[in-house]
Amino acid sequence: MAAVQETIDQVRQIDVDQYKYGFETIIEVDKAPKGLSEDIIRFISAKKQEPEWMLEWRLDAYQRWLTMEEPTWARVDYPKIDFNELYYYAAPKNMTGPSSLEEVDPELLRVYEKLGIPLQEQEMLAGVQKPRVAVDAVFDSVSVVTTFKKELQKAGVIFMSISEAIREHPELIKQYLGSVVPTTDNYYATLNAAVFTDGSFVFVPKGVRCPMELSTYFRINEKNTGQFERTLIIAEEGAYVSYLEGCTAPQRDENQLHAAVVELVALDDAEIKYSTVQNWYPGDAQGKGGIYNFVTKRGDCRGHRSKISWTQVETGSAITWKYPSCILRGDDSRGEFYSIAVSNGYQQIDSGTKMIHLGKNTSSRIISKGISAGRSNNTYRGQVSIHRRAENARNFTNCDSLLIGDKCGAHTVPYIEVKNASAQVEHEATTSKISDDQKFYVMQRGIPEEEAIALIVNGFVKDVIQELPMEFAVEAQKLIGISLEGSVG
Amino acid sequence: MLEIKNLHARIAEDGTEIIRGLNLTVKAGEVAAIMGPNGSGKSTLSYILSGREDYEVTEGDILYNGESILDLDPAERASKGIFLAFQYPVEIPGVATMQFLKVAMNEQRKARGEEELTTPDFIRRVKEAAAELKIDPAMLRRPLNVGFSGGEKKRAEILQMALLEPKLCILDETDSGLDIDALKIVADGVNALKSPDRAVIVITHYQRLLEYIVPDTVHVLYKGQVIRSGDKDLALELEANGYADIIGKAA
Amino acid sequence: MNIHTPIRLTPAETALVETYTAQVGDLPGDGAVTVTRDRLLNDIKTSGLPTRRVEAWHYTDLRTLLRNVPAPLAAAPSLATIAPLVEGAQVLPVLHGAVDAATSIDGVEVASFADSLVNGTAAAGLAALDKDDAIGKINGSLVRDGYSIAIPAGSTVEAPIELQALHGAGQVHTRFPVTFGAGSRATFIERHRSATGEAALVSSISDIMLEEGAEAVWIILQEQGAEDTHLGQVRVKFGTDSKLRLFVINAGGKLVRQELRIDVDGEGSELTLRGVNLLGGETHTDVTLVLGHNVPNTNSTEIFRNVVFDRARGVFQGMIRVAPDAQKTDAKMACNTLLLTDDGEFSVKPELEIFADDVICGHGATVSDIDNNHLYYLQSRGIPENKARAMLVNAFVAEVVEELEDEKLVEALEGVISAWLEKHA
Repeated sequence: MAAVQETIDQVRQIDVDQYKYGFETIIEVDKAPKGLSEDIIRFISAKKQEPEWMLEWRLDAYQRWLTMEEPTWARVDYPKIDFNELYYYAAPKNMTGPSSLEEVDPELLRVYEKLGIPLQEQEMLAGVQKPRVAVDAVFDSVSVVTTFKKELQKAGVIFMSISEAIREHPELIKQYLGSVVPTTDNYYATLNAAVFTDGSFVFVPKGVRCPMELSTYFRINEKNTGQFERTLIIAEEGAYVSYLEGCTAPQRDENQLHAAVVELVALDDAEIKYSTVQNWYPGDAQGKGGIYNFVTKRGDCRGHRSKISWTQVETGSAITWKYPSCILRGDDSRGEFYSIAVSNGYQQIDSGTKMIHLGKNTSSRIISKGISAGRSNNTYRGQVSIHRRAENARNFTNCDSLLIGDKCGAHTVPYIEVKNASAQVEHEATTSKISDDQKFYVMQRGIPEEEAIALIVNGFVKDVIQELPMEFAVEAQKLIGISLEGSVG
Repeated sequence: MLEIKNLHARIAEDGTEIIRGLNLTVKAGEVAAIMGPNGSGKSTLSYILSGREDYEVTEGDILYNGESILDLDPAERASKGIFLAFQYPVEIPGVATMQFLKVAMNEQRKARGEEELTTPDFIRRVKEAAAELKIDPAMLRRPLNVGFSGGEKKRAEILQMALLEPKLCILDETDSGLDIDALKIVADGVNALKSPDRAVIVITHYQRLLEYIVPDTVHVLYKGQVIRSGDKDLALELEANGYADIIGKAA
Repeated sequence: MNIHTPIRLTPAETALVETYTAQVGDLPGDGAVTVTRDRLLNDIKTSGLPTRRVEAWHYTDLRTLLRNVPAPLAAAPSLATIAPLVEGAQVLPVLHGAVDAATSIDGVEVASFADSLVNGTAAAGLAALDKDDAIGKINGSLVRDGYSIAIPAGSTVEAPIELQALHGAGQVHTRFPVTFGAGSRATFIERHRSATGEAALVSSISDIMLEEGAEAVWIILQEQGAEDTHLGQVRVKFGTDSKLRLFVINAGGKLVRQELRIDVDGEGSELTLRGVNLLGGETHTDVTLVLGHNVPNTNSTEIFRNVVFDRARGVFQGMIRVAPDAQKTDAKMACNTLLLTDDGEFSVKPELEIFADDVICGHGATVSDIDNNHLYYLQSRGIPENKARAMLVNAFVAEVVEELEDEKLVEALEGVISAWLEKHA
């Protein structure tokens, strides 16, 4: 039993050095004055050279936000945020929007190199064809560069920062922005509508299969700055796109706010695959610092036979509050949610999904794997709702939690609502620790305890890992290992 | 190679005494059979040798090549060359057999200060060993032990033994659940590993396995003690007369 | 929420307040009992009945659903006991809330609950369990009577004891504290039934205390009338190595909330909880379980089977909490529903809240219609469709009841189930 105590002791000594992305870049910035007001919103809108209607939209959201209250139903606990102590806009000097690679400050390019993000459009490397990924790099409040734009354009795919899209494709923005997550949806989404600064816009026209993976890489660098990104992805009839986002931030003692909104629209026969590897700074061993990650993500399967699939690997952030959801409006549409949520130290996660079945023959699948270690709390919260007219709806949910150590918590809160007799809904959840038998067996073969646990954990999360695009699966697996370092002997 | 001195051990959780003053010496190159009726402590002994946390040694010592191993965890013991072929190999969903083998082999090499294997070298070794044991390569693509039949599991244990090249092999009821053909394959696998610097402990209930893996010494375990030792004829005697005879004499 | 702006009371809330004001002089007990009653009522008056914003009432917005509360009758209706559910059971009558203090059962201590209100010993137990315990508040402020029962240590009561609660129109608020002494064994049937079919508001709390090594069977059979509101609550405390088999059958009522608030506080104890919800008509039935495994080495299994006909709405909330250090907890819960109509609905919220690592906990929930393969198989053997359906539905729920050891009880409960299904299917 001694080894167990040792495990628990070591859980307490999480070393911040494990966070590989905690460096800060000293770069000259343009900042909005501190605080939140109509003037700040006008400032942001002016910086982005937005049309008048966009400013109106923002101001309207701001007025609504002033009347709203911060939600308290999630199992997370944090001191009240003073929204007037934050900066809402920060951008590298002379950078109000994306430029070509040649124009980007070399200091910034070095940041992405250090983070391992490919910003070069090289296709051949020593004769080996590497899978190509187009990247939109967002640094604090602006997109600094978007790669492969021209090549994507040839295929008819629009991939650019949302700020550019507002100027260049106002008709699409007017049609779709806020059509999945209304401006007044919830407290953070409304705040985002008022102050969002950048994010990505993807439009895949009818019948087009996007020729490469798209990804956006978010980096918060500036102190006391909130990041409010907004992403909108539209797949027209028969289109397909796979998109991945990644996020990191420097280590700081203060908490920082990240409140994003992501909207996906899939028309008839379209498919959107959205993957997230979330690795915001989680805070230190005492629970000091770290990102508050309050995110609204929702996909609308608007068309018949459309499909939206969310895959998330959540290892970072001090607090995570996100429920990537699918509205299954079109007949025969399908929603999927695959999640790995790892919490260690003092991290708090309240995450899950909503599958809202409205159309006929809609189906959804939820696979959630939660791993709690240290003194963290990890909650799965998910809703499956079968509406009255959703004939022949199907849902399968599997939700497993693993506990490492006896100072952490694992919680499962599903909401299942069925109003149609032809529905078939199946939910199963388990909570346990790593089996001693498995651990002993692996260790008997000479694998040290920490690796033995990593091995078993990787087996535990495999169903979800294999949903990630291949290039990211390996990265994600490593990340999980790193997040759990120090949690075992 | 192995010297067990006056070993007393119990189940950590409830304090049930299982091993009560056991003495046993196994030399390098020796095949030692440990026999005994159900509940005599045979499997417990294999767990204690390999360092399972559920058991507590309260008295005595286990010397391996002259050093006490009581303070070592299972992985440390394994990298020193102690291998246990489990009676009931554990199923681990999601963990691919090949991946597991590679990690295990390389961790042990690392612990011994050896170079890690290259992937082609690793694959070659596994293929060769699998062919010897007539293991279908498809089986190795499945998650570890998941959905394996009883015989497949036992063969996979011997495969691991061949690949990890241990110095002290402990076979816990390896014959249980095997038909005669599978038993021969497994025994051949074990015999192929016999060498002057390697010892094998065969834990079994029946004499059957010992026809194929011929022991140098046979020890009868009862109530946590070795009550009689002898050569391979002792196993035949047990087969003919049962345990009652010996137990009666010992008491 | 420190602001004490008074809310505008709904007609039902107003009726509860008025009932209390009219009866306060006449309700048994004074001193601490009255102080507690005042406080509970004041809670209702200031914060109202719970709405769906209160997580524990997420699917049963009591404030909206409880439209009206019938005024209590000036004089209790004259009611007579009916035959017990199983032959040979010893009946403790509760006729429109009034108990028969003269009833005695050999080897069992039975007293009127009103006595403990009058002498003040009931005061502490009247408090609500938490701020969302609306049933505790309503019952605690308005309770008049019930039975206080003790099964002496070491004794075994062979025949089941039936708490036979029958009511007419108006309001009935009862309470049944029952202590199972160390090593004792007994079976209780808590039976609620409308005698007249007229609308009533019934609140009833059973307070079960299991001392060391006690083994109890407790069956709740709720067959209220089509106009009734039934607010039931069972509170259970487990002692070391004690066992409880708790069966809950809902087969009536218009608005029903049956709460099971269980604390497993004794090491080595075991809960077997089974439930059947037969839902039909235009009704709303909510079973809410809050189960705390608070100490190491305890087991529980929970199985609920629900069938939904007509425009009925059903709710099951099942929270399993495992406290820090409650290692080796083994808790498994399943909730299976047959939703047989597009006009009905069923909502499930099974929760796990786990703070100890060496546990095996799980829950499963399914909602579906009858399996067509099963139906086809029966039909292919010549059974007509409606008959085949009835067979399958019956089997689905009866399976749970068959786990009871007492054959007479199984037979009686199966009778209740088939009679209900015949009427609704």
